[in-house]
Amino acid sequence: MNIIKRTFYGIYNLLKGMKITIKYFFKPAITLQYPKERWTMPERSRGMVGLLSDPETGKLNCTACLICMRNCPVRAIQITQTKDEAGKRVPDEFVIEAGLCIYCGICEESCPFSAIKMIPKYEFSTFDKKKLTHKKERLAEIGKGSKYNKWS
Amino acid sequence: MNEQISEIYTEEFFVNMGPQHPSTHGVLRLLLKMDGEVVLDMVPHVGYLHRSMEKIAENRTYYQYIPYTDRIDYVSSMFCNQVFCMAVEKLANVPVPERAEYIRIIMVELNRIASHLIWLGTFSLDLGAITPFLYCFREREKILDLFEMVCGQRMTFNYMRVGGVSRDITPEFVPMAKEFVNYFLPRVDEYEDILTNNPIFLSRTKGVGLLDQKIAIDYGVTGPSLRGTGLKWDLRKEEPYSIYDRFKFEIPTGENSDVWDRYIVRIKEMRESAKIALQALERIPEGPIKTKTPAVFKPPAGEVYLRIEAPRGEMGFYIVSDGSPKPYRVKIRTGSFSNLTVLPIISRGWKIADLVAIFGSLDVVLPEVDR
Amino acid sequence: MLELGQLLENIYLWGESLFTQWGIPLFWLELLGMLIVAVIILAFISLSVLFMVWWERKVSGHMQSRFGPMRTGWHGWLQTIIDAIKLILKEDTTPESADKSGFLIAPIIVFVSAFMAYICIPFGKGLIVKDLNIGILYILAITTFTVIGLLTAGWCSNNKFSVLGGFRSAAQIISYEVPLTLSILGVVILSQTLSMQSIVNSQKHIWEWYIFRQPVGFLIYIVAAIAEINRVPFDIPEAEQELVAGFNIEYSGMKFAMFFFAEFANLFLVSAIATTLFLGGWNGPLLPSWIWFFIKSFFLVFVIMWFKWTFPRLRVDQLMGFAWKFLLPLAFANLILTGLLA
Repeated sequence: MNIIKRTFYGIYNLLKGMKITIKYFFKPAITLQYPKERWTMPERSRGMVGLLSDPETGKLNCTACLICMRNCPVRAIQITQTKDEAGKRVPDEFVIEAGLCIYCGICEESCPFSAIKMIPKYEFSTFDKKKLTHKKERLAEIGKGSKYNKWS
Repeated sequence: MNEQISEIYTEEFFVNMGPQHPSTHGVLRLLLKMDGEVVLDMVPHVGYLHRSMEKIAENRTYYQYIPYTDRIDYVSSMFCNQVFCMAVEKLANVPVPERAEYIRIIMVELNRIASHLIWLGTFSLDLGAITPFLYCFREREKILDLFEMVCGQRMTFNYMRVGGVSRDITPEFVPMAKEFVNYFLPRVDEYEDILTNNPIFLSRTKGVGLLDQKIAIDYGVTGPSLRGTGLKWDLRKEEPYSIYDRFKFEIPTGENSDVWDRYIVRIKEMRESAKIALQALERIPEGPIKTKTPAVFKPPAGEVYLRIEAPRGEMGFYIVSDGSPKPYRVKIRTGSFSNLTVLPIISRGWKIADLVAIFGSLDVVLPEVDR
Repeated sequence: MLELGQLLENIYLWGESLFTQWGIPLFWLELLGMLIVAVIILAFISLSVLFMVWWERKVSGHMQSRFGPMRTGWHGWLQTIIDAIKLILKEDTTPESADKSGFLIAPIIVFVSAFMAYICIPFGKGLIVKDLNIGILYILAITTFTVIGLLTAGWCSNNKFSVLGGFRSAAQIISYEVPLTLSILGVVILSQTLSMQSIVNSQKHIWEWYIFRQPVGFLIYIVAAIAEINRVPFDIPEAEQELVAGFNIEYSGMKFAMFFFAEFANLFLVSAIATTLFLGGWNGPLLPSWIWFFIKSFFLVFVIMWFKWTFPRLRVDQLMGFAWKFLLPLAFANLILTGLLA
């Protein structure tokens, strides 16, 4: 008798498992068809690094204080300083190796001038490794139109 | 009959379950000595994922090292962040505001659920039931969406800081998290429907891979594997750290210390974590989220060891500081490393198919082993 | 309406009259007929395998809350064709120390044994290639040839893991043959005939279907049949999460495609036999008989796929224990009870 009870109990549990799979068979699928449909990234999402500019003048906010370069854990930022026409210190070269960057956001958090931000853009794959070295103009283009939010 | 069988010429042979294998959750090489189907002995070779985390720490400041701690165990990043920040706070006597403590608890318990979901998915995938893997990842997506809303990343969060957390939670976070917890609790029942009493699953896991309690304690096994042997040992109750003493939760244990018990312990832990998160979400106070620390942070010279209950066992950080902005020595004690040492002992005498189930139930993640 | 059986009969009679008009011996007509029928069956198997591979991927996708293939054609219906093209274009390697003739013949044996069993499947009223009066016995005998193919594949690959996989697979198939045959014997006792069309003809009304008179036999048949075709929960020989991938490790390209093809052909064959024996074959109101046959067969194919995506797999000694210690006594008990009550 014990084996008959165990058999029926076993079959009942197998059917319980099957009920779950057939339930999800009839529910709609939850995946996105990627190239045609894209997910809207949350605004705090840490994507590629971008340089912010002043909306009126179009000049970069960065004053080449080198704090982000010192704080970057993997040394992905290289900056050289120069002076512009008005005598203020501005970056001459601002290079970020996107292949080295670990997207930690420490540069954004430590900048005192609201000049660098992680923009929620993520489609930067390329076949040529040299394109992964982002220079100042590319970084300004990535950061165009974004506003800085101070980390509270 | 036994004499006749022993007269047949058999040979033991060595099989290499190599670094690339679908079942060894990462790059682990197992050298097996087998007699037919039965495993006689085993030697694990580790080190394929060694990234010298401890040496790197000597050249980074405490603030710069936090993204590295994420990557010690990228499946449960919040725990690694938390233990490092708590160790440095203990070393430098930095207080943590109330709101930050509550936020840390919520994040950490949600991460425990996410980590156990990965374990459940890969465990059932190893045993042949492919569908729960997809269901677990579907639930995990919701948790990762919550995390991304707050700190910006889905996997390596870099969220906690010495003295609190880095960003405040958004107003949408609390209702969304509550909705998630209420959505999640019936899902655990569904996973149990598919697996727990399934006769095929029972015959694969009941009575397999018995871990004696004394051997577990001798080898330093911690976490759900130790609780599966019947010992009620959880650091959240034994040495309450952070504000765990304000929440009501149970510690599930197993009875027979086989694979099925370890599975049940983790399933119950998922429910308990959801309960803790719900309790914390109800009572978050207002306030600051981080105490101010100096820009060049120099803890006093000394040493500290601090341990927490991570999903895979006990994770501990031993930090020696000499008063400079960079630590002098960091030693990381991870649960998976000690749990892996007991694998050769409990898999002797079992077949290869059982080895896969036993290894899955120990929940070893290779980045933790190799650091 | 669209009774294909009558249509084929008419074509044959027209051909016969044509041949006798031209004075060619009827032997050539028979030969031509056999060739055409073989090509039709092969085309049918190919089309149904194509459909079933796509159907399996869609079913598994929707059971897992995702879409299946979506990009190749509307909802991915071209996916199987493109996979087949990819497999043909792959390099067909043969290991250097393998036994070349055995290595080549093994997939052919496996496929041919599945193909030959289609001779006795009643697709509809009058739509059977040859209604042998030992129909079901012939099918059981022919499908056993698969074991020879698997053993050859395992041994001739000259790889200790594929030998292990081949032996395990052969042991599994041979063990599950016994409950399979015993469950079919129950139906044979009730219907008093071995011929497939006669079995279908004895189930004209829905209350006469043998599933109601032999429920235990039906369950034993389904379980043993899934074990015969190496699907979850009995797919140890081809599981990737176990140590190795079983007997078809060394196979790539078209030979691998042959094994794959044979597995799905076997899947449809097993569902077709279950439909014929237990679910009333092509009987049904209103629609033409061959449409009923396909509906019932594909429903059983869906149920077998449902099993695959829900259950974990059994360990190899548990598998054998299940066959010999549980299914076999149950099948015997079923047979004795049927014999006593019929």
